[in-house]
Amino acid sequence: MATKEELLELLKDGVINYKEEQVKEAAQTAVDDGHPALEMIMDGLAAGMEVVGDLYERHEYFVPEVLMCADALYLGLDILRPHVPKSDSGAVAQVVIGSIQGDVHDIGKNLVKMMFDVAGWEVHDLGRDVPLENFVKEQLRTDAEVVAMSAMMTTTMLGMKKVIQMIKEKNPNVAIMLGGAPVTQDVANLFGADGYAESAGNAVQEGIKMIGRLREYEKKKAD
Amino acid sequence: MAELTPIERVKRFFNREPIDKMPFFTGMGMVLLPAIKKLGYNFPSVHRNAEKMARSAIESARMFNLDSVVIPYDMCMESEALGNEISLYEDSEDILYPTIPYKSWQEVDQVEITQDDIDNVMDKYPMNLLPEAIKIVKTEAPDLPVGAWQLGPFTQCGQTIELDKVLKAVFKQTDLVESILDKFSDMIINIGKALQAAGADFITLREPGVAADLLSPKTFKELIQPRLTRILAAWEPPKVLHICGSTDPLVEMMWQCVVDSGGQGVSFDIKNNLLETRKKLGNAAIILGNFDVFQLPCAEATTVEQAVEGIKTNIDGLVDAVWPGCDLWPDIKEENLKAIEKTAREYKTGPTPAVGRL
Ligand code: B12
Repeated sequence: MATKEELLELLKDGVINYKEEQVKEAAQTAVDDGHPALEMIMDGLAAGMEVVGDLYERHEYFVPEVLMCADALYLGLDILRPHVPKSDSGAVAQVVIGSIQGDVHDIGKNLVKMMFDVAGWEVHDLGRDVPLENFVKEQLRTDAEVVAMSAMMTTTMLGMKKVIQMIKEKNPNVAIMLGGAPVTQDVANLFGADGYAESAGNAVQEGIKMIGRLREYEKKKAD
Repeated sequence: MAELTPIERVKRFFNREPIDKMPFFTGMGMVLLPAIKKLGYNFPSVHRNAEKMARSAIESARMFNLDSVVIPYDMCMESEALGNEISLYEDSEDILYPTIPYKSWQEVDQVEITQDDIDNVMDKYPMNLLPEAIKIVKTEAPDLPVGAWQLGPFTQCGQTIELDKVLKAVFKQTDLVESILDKFSDMIINIGKALQAAGADFITLREPGVAADLLSPKTFKELIQPRLTRILAAWEPPKVLHICGSTDPLVEMMWQCVVDSGGQGVSFDIKNNLLETRKKLGNAAIILGNFDVFQLPCAEATTVEQAVEGIKTNIDGLVDAVWPGCDLWPDIKEENLKAIEKTAREYKTGPTPAVGRL
């Protein structure tokens, strides 16, 4: 019987080297043997994805490799996620994500989405070329804490400013995060967003930080 | 020496014969909102009507004194001819280029490009509009050269199947991807030939989906370079190869494609380090592009002075013509684009590395 450490290693290695079967088998074994699913996700799958991120930054991996790693990761996630006890995932939040209207670039957005999935967030993916008002509607419907928008064109980027205004009007307690190649921290500030991340790697961290800031603000207001 | 007409200037330019002044032109999308408005059209309507396409293309060039007219405008026509529905955003007030909301082939295995698609693509709507539009331009503006363009096979593939699926299939189903790329290449060759037969004076092959931020240079060399070379070789000169995105690791291979196929120039976007590229390719290469198509002519915050400075930097980067690094974004600030044109012509009057002066 494989030990927990061995299974974690199999998951990690399977993600890094996009071995789908290996990930599926290790995840199933972990479930059958009663290992904690959350730990398998975080220290196995997510740890593997972290290495993939490094390989990508170092130009050893390119987008196709990263996408294949993501496929392997999702196969493991699908098996493990249902076994994460509700209490474990209690702290985790919801995010509405999409590529803005007019923009069909979604490879980067999908990588960001994956990071939220891995981190155990409930992700509402609106896809791409998303009409501006749909971000607002979906946020209201789900009461998600975070709305994350992606734009890859300088021109479509302008739509994000409109969405921010629309959302903040209806619901100031939503943290809005922007990303995509033409977006910078300055742009995010200018548009009135709460957060920005340059790459998928730090998107989740930024999301958590934003929620933290919002909660603090809420508390102060209440005091 | 009398001034050359734009068509004389551009033809001589690609032959590397001395010309009178710096050309200001492009081979990629160039339809400008002020021209569309002047004609009383709206943006969605110019995409699927040969007459409106031709007239707005001519007016865009005339208004800003550009040395070329560009047909086609958008990247969805081939995909539409292959049976996909497109979205033109007819109700939107913003400028949105057509997109393909849903692709009928969801997996690489489902791709079915028939010999009929390859041989008769130009008979299918909306491809049949293009020769018609080019002919109108040739009659109404004989002094302006027509630049036509085609997407490369990899990027075109991403217009008919989701690009992420194609990217993965490069590794997982290499043989299948190779055969699909070959079929697209055959189709692209035929389209380019038809556009040239209709009167296009030069042609640009654009393959943004293979930049080094997406595919490795190794994959480029093995999978893409031979196909780009084959396509370019099948067309008449003058011909240009353009790639958007991270191209520094690709410039030598790109230039090799051009040399091997009897082509004339290479074009890049703003991510390219032009001076390094010039060092690598030498003075025989016609190098184009690298001018920021949004910041300089469009951005609200960009002043005329900044636009002028930007173009000077572009020219100091040793380009052989002022040529946008991608489709010119339609919603330009008129005063900026006019200043850009003026600067392009006046800033440096001497020869560029590849092209002399009269
Ligand atoms: C692939 C691609 C396409 C594909 C898209 C396929 C798809 N399904 O996504 C196709 C061929 C369809 C396409 C079409 C067009 N494209 Co294009 N395309 C690209 C290209 C080559 C790569 C983009 C990419 O996927 N990068 C890889 C991913 C992993 O990186 P990323 O997207 O930056 O994402 C990372 C970060 O930005 C961040 N991030 C992204 N989103 C978010 C969101 C949040 C919330 C956070 C926190 C972080 C985050 O995390 C990601 C991972 O680390 C770029 C050029 C380039 N090399 O960048 C041009 C580019 C984006 N395209 C461009 C343009 C103009 C177009 C077209 C208009 C046609 C044209 N003239 O080329 C059409 C428009 C289509 C449309 N209406 O949207 C321009 C945009 C210019 C501008 N600044 O406005 C670019 C920059 C090329 C250029 N230099 O001209 N394109």
